[in-house]
Amino acid sequence: MLNCKDVAARASALIDGELSGWQAMQMRLHLAMCRGCSAFVGQIRQTRDLTEAALREGTAHPGDDARLAAILARLPDQRRGV
Amino acid sequence: MRNRIDDERQVPDLLASGDRATFERLYRQHNGAMIRVCTAIVGNRAAAEEVVQDGWIAILQNIGGFEGRASLAGWMFAIVLNKAKSRARRDGRSVSFDAGGEENSLAAAFDGRGRWKDMPELWDEVTPERILAGRRVLDHVTAAIEALPPAQRAVIVLRGQHGLDPAEVCAALGISEGNMRVLLHRARLAVRAALDDLL
Ligand SMILES: [Zn+2]
Repeated sequence: MLNCKDVAARASALIDGELSGWQAMQMRLHLAMCRGCSAFVGQIRQTRDLTEAALREGTAHPGDDARLAAILARLPDQRRGV
Repeated sequence: MRNRIDDERQVPDLLASGDRATFERLYRQHNGAMIRVCTAIVGNRAAAEEVVQDGWIAILQNIGGFEGRASLAGWMFAIVLNKAKSRARRDGRSVSFDAGGEENSLAAAFDGRGRWKDMPELWDEVTPERILAGRRVLDHVTAAIEALPPAQRAVIVLRGQHGLDPAEVCAALGISEGNMRVLLHRARLAVRAALDDLL
């Protein structure tokens, strides 16, 4: 039987679908009986989703347009599509 | 691997023919993540911006040789990260991707039998736009990511980047899949702890 510490260590692997069928089954058995671990796995899932959202939001930076123009300016022969 | 739709397959050709709109779209999609990851590797933002800019030029110059063995994103990040690693070497800087040893934020969370000392509770109230301690949850998350040790930061940023699969993340960083998973989990634990502290 997995204990809570084992479950916490495998939480990312579970939500990323990286556990084998048997490992995932052992996790589900523990989660069905343990409120703390269920909450924890939910928190890790929320953490993953919030991280992705935060990184997407931070995609644009001030100065991007100028840098983009500088890159294109250094490639005069590749600007046929302009 | 994700299925790539026909449009995606034409992207390398469009790029090679100098299609500006295609380049701009890729730039806006990946430049921010490239700068974050390179900042982790070279140690400062200004150097990272130079490295990424050189990387984009190299991408455009070499796109004709792209063979589609990796995804386009995987190929582009590998080019940029190689440049970041050479820059770090030149500057005498090294980032350890060794996942051994280091404690994580759960080190003291369990009793001797591996049970929670304090049970975690559901985060029903944690939503992206929710304000906690005067800032949006997403801004706290961004700050927590920026406070991560470089190796964890590089992994969590790459794993959050659409179009890169886990094997490509490992290849671009030159680390094993096992190491990558440990670093990713540790990074998430740290971000999770930062959020939990606010509740
Ligand atoms: Zn448990």
